[in-house]
Amino acid sequence: MLMTDPIAAAVKAYILDAFLPGADAAELTDETPLISDGILDSLATVRLVTFLEDQYKIEVAAHEANADNLDTITRIAQLVRSKLPS
Amino acid sequence: MDFNPSADQDALRDTIIKFARERLNEDMITRDREQRFSRERWKACGEMGLQGLPVPEALGGSGFDPLTTVMALDAFGYGCTDNGLVFAVCAHLLSCVVPLWRFGNEAQQARYLPRLCDGTLVGVHAITEPDSGSDSFAMRTRAVRDGDDWRINGTKTFISNGPEADVIIVFAITDPAKGYHGGVTAFLLERGTPGFTASRKIEKMGLRTAPFGELSFDDVRVSDAAILGGLGGGSAIFTHAMDWERTCLFAAHVGQMQRILERGVHYARTRKQFGKAISKFQGVSHKLADFRVQLEAARLLTYRAATRLDRTRGVALDAAMAKLFVSESLVRGALDVLQIFAGYGYATEYEIEREVRDAIGSRIYSGTSDMQRNTIAAWMGL
Repeated sequence: MLMTDPIAAAVKAYILDAFLPGADAAELTDETPLISDGILDSLATVRLVTFLEDQYKIEVAAHEANADNLDTITRIAQLVRSKLPS
Repeated sequence: MDFNPSADQDALRDTIIKFARERLNEDMITRDREQRFSRERWKACGEMGLQGLPVPEALGGSGFDPLTTVMALDAFGYGCTDNGLVFAVCAHLLSCVVPLWRFGNEAQQARYLPRLCDGTLVGVHAITEPDSGSDSFAMRTRAVRDGDDWRINGTKTFISNGPEADVIIVFAITDPAKGYHGGVTAFLLERGTPGFTASRKIEKMGLRTAPFGELSFDDVRVSDAAILGGLGGGSAIFTHAMDWERTCLFAAHVGQMQRILERGVHYARTRKQFGKAISKFQGVSHKLADFRVQLEAARLLTYRAATRLDRTRGVALDAAMAKLFVSESLVRGALDVLQIFAGYGYATEYEIEREVRDAIGSRIYSGTSDMQRNTIAAWMGL
């Protein structure tokens, strides 16, 4: 049985609540393209990064708030994990 | 949250008001009519430290925290009746100087900031294009690799300070596939760079002493050293600049609101009709009472936003609310005071009609009121 990544789960819950109200949770997977599919526009990206910084007490630099780090839930979780104290 | 000014902040406010009244306000009607920007007054503002208020002293600025900066700009907007000059200084400070301070490398900061802060140079922020206003990142200006350099081509319009530009932050697409998210880069240019021209001055309704125009980039060649904040970092720089501009420029408008209100109150108390001061008519006094409430609320919103600058990305919401409220209140209050002045308000010599013309643009620049409502709605999950 696969273990659920708690960071990915929290990010998914936030995205569903903040940007996809009423959507079927099953349609948002960890690999759904968030930026190229238009789920995250410029304002939504700022809100998502604000959530990550507040929730995990991390800082996302300006140059890190891009598609390479934010386009899927998997990448977002990796970004967060890379900033947490080991 | 305590927004009462300290003794030092009070002294700063008094100094700026006195400076503005003594050095900046002469001959306003003529300068407005002739759309004349004054480099002499610009330089004086630099010597007063206005162009570098929040920038660390080591980089040529005054080293004030964001709250003190908005208090200073509030005083500047109050004391200076040349709203165009106030706008030009704020545009320069908040959309060119602040991004250079926050995103520039040491070489870029050393090269430009001291002279941008002391009033030697005029800075601009060039993003708007003929076909991309509110949708800024639909821009067409491109920067493409050419050997080790970049070649920039495009046209920017409605650029504040454009005709006087010495240092330009220009936004260009460097990776069309990425678009907003990492595909836009900010470049630093200087006046005199081959291919760059301040191509057209644009006449406008208000803020007529503030330079405003079009910039052309025709095969402008720059090196990697001209990139501000990293390749693809344009959206972050733009967002950050707008947080500062929507908070601090509109603090200057709060000062303008106070000046207009005080003129309205004075006029209502001294103008007599039907045997008594017109302030005794509730149709007049209620307008001024409403304006007073809006002034106080506007000041609280801008000061609160200032305390959150550079501390949370959530300031984007605070800045949008402040910007929307200040601009709408400024226009409404200015129109109400013009109505109270009646025929005298409509006459140029009383300098109320200019306040109205100068106020109108506030609902458009730094993102229209409609765009601010979009931002506020988005933060509520709508």
